[in-house]
Amino acid sequence: MTEHSLWRLSRALHRAINDRQFDALTELLDDDVDWAIYGPIDMFPFLGARLGKDAVLETIRQIADTVHIRRLDRETLMLDDGAAATMVRCAMTTQESDKPITARLAQFMHFRAGKLARLRILIDTFDLVEQTLGRPIDLPRIGSFA
Amino acid sequence: MIEHINKQRVRKLLEAHAAGDFDAVLAFCTDDLEHFASAPIDIFPHLGRRHGKAEVRQMWEVARSRYADVRHEIKTMICEGNKVATDLRIFLRKRDNERIVQYDLAAFYTLRDGRISRIREIMDTFDLVQQVLECDLSRLLIAGTARP
Repeated sequence: MTEHSLWRLSRALHRAINDRQFDALTELLDDDVDWAIYGPIDMFPFLGARLGKDAVLETIRQIADTVHIRRLDRETLMLDDGAAATMVRCAMTTQESDKPITARLAQFMHFRAGKLARLRILIDTFDLVEQTLGRPIDLPRIGSFA
Repeated sequence: MIEHINKQRVRKLLEAHAAGDFDAVLAFCTDDLEHFASAPIDIFPHLGRRHGKAEVRQMWEVARSRYADVRHEIKTMICEGNKVATDLRIFLRKRDNERIVQYDLAAFYTLRDGRISRIREIMDTFDLVQQVLECDLSRLLIAGTARP
């Protein structure tokens, strides 16, 4: 039974972010990969949309410059033909100050010929910003609450 | 294939939810339904963890009292066995000022005996807060006026 592409990609991403070894990841990205991690790009420039292998590799380098992954707990996993969805709890530390940050990520991946063709990641970004700042955000008292 | 059937069940649940027919939505769910949305509950007090049909219904009714014209686009749906994951684009209209709110939502469903027993949601909450409060929170934080 052939290994699902998710596992190879997961190992390659981990090595790229933590060890700055990009060869395996380079091989697993489709040339036209469509990539997006939703979140405030003013605060985290490595978030947002990227198109193409080179742009994605540059983003991974930015992520590697910013955080180190300490632990990944896969809470939910679904594998489909050429696609995967996971919910992962990711414990990281910042490269700058070793500050611990924990985020739960929802990931949707589509593969073409074994390579990543499309990725979407959603994060509880309000919580991520507060953890990064190290304190709660004091919101302006404007507008209507949900 | 059970995957095809379970995808259909989730599609029907989403359609009934968009229509505001919570009786129909809850008919697709188990009595001990668990619902958890990761979100700042001081801003979205009706979100957070809910257990059982009555609590989940109340959460949806509070949301519906504030938003109308709910619709969704399914961008991705992936299923394996009794688990279904959806990448959704949600559209809402605020009742108080008619403004449209749109955001992406990842929803993970677990089914038991053909009914949905667990819903887990993750969304870009920073963007959602900005839309709800109608302010550029990034700019305020960078400028220091949101007093982080």
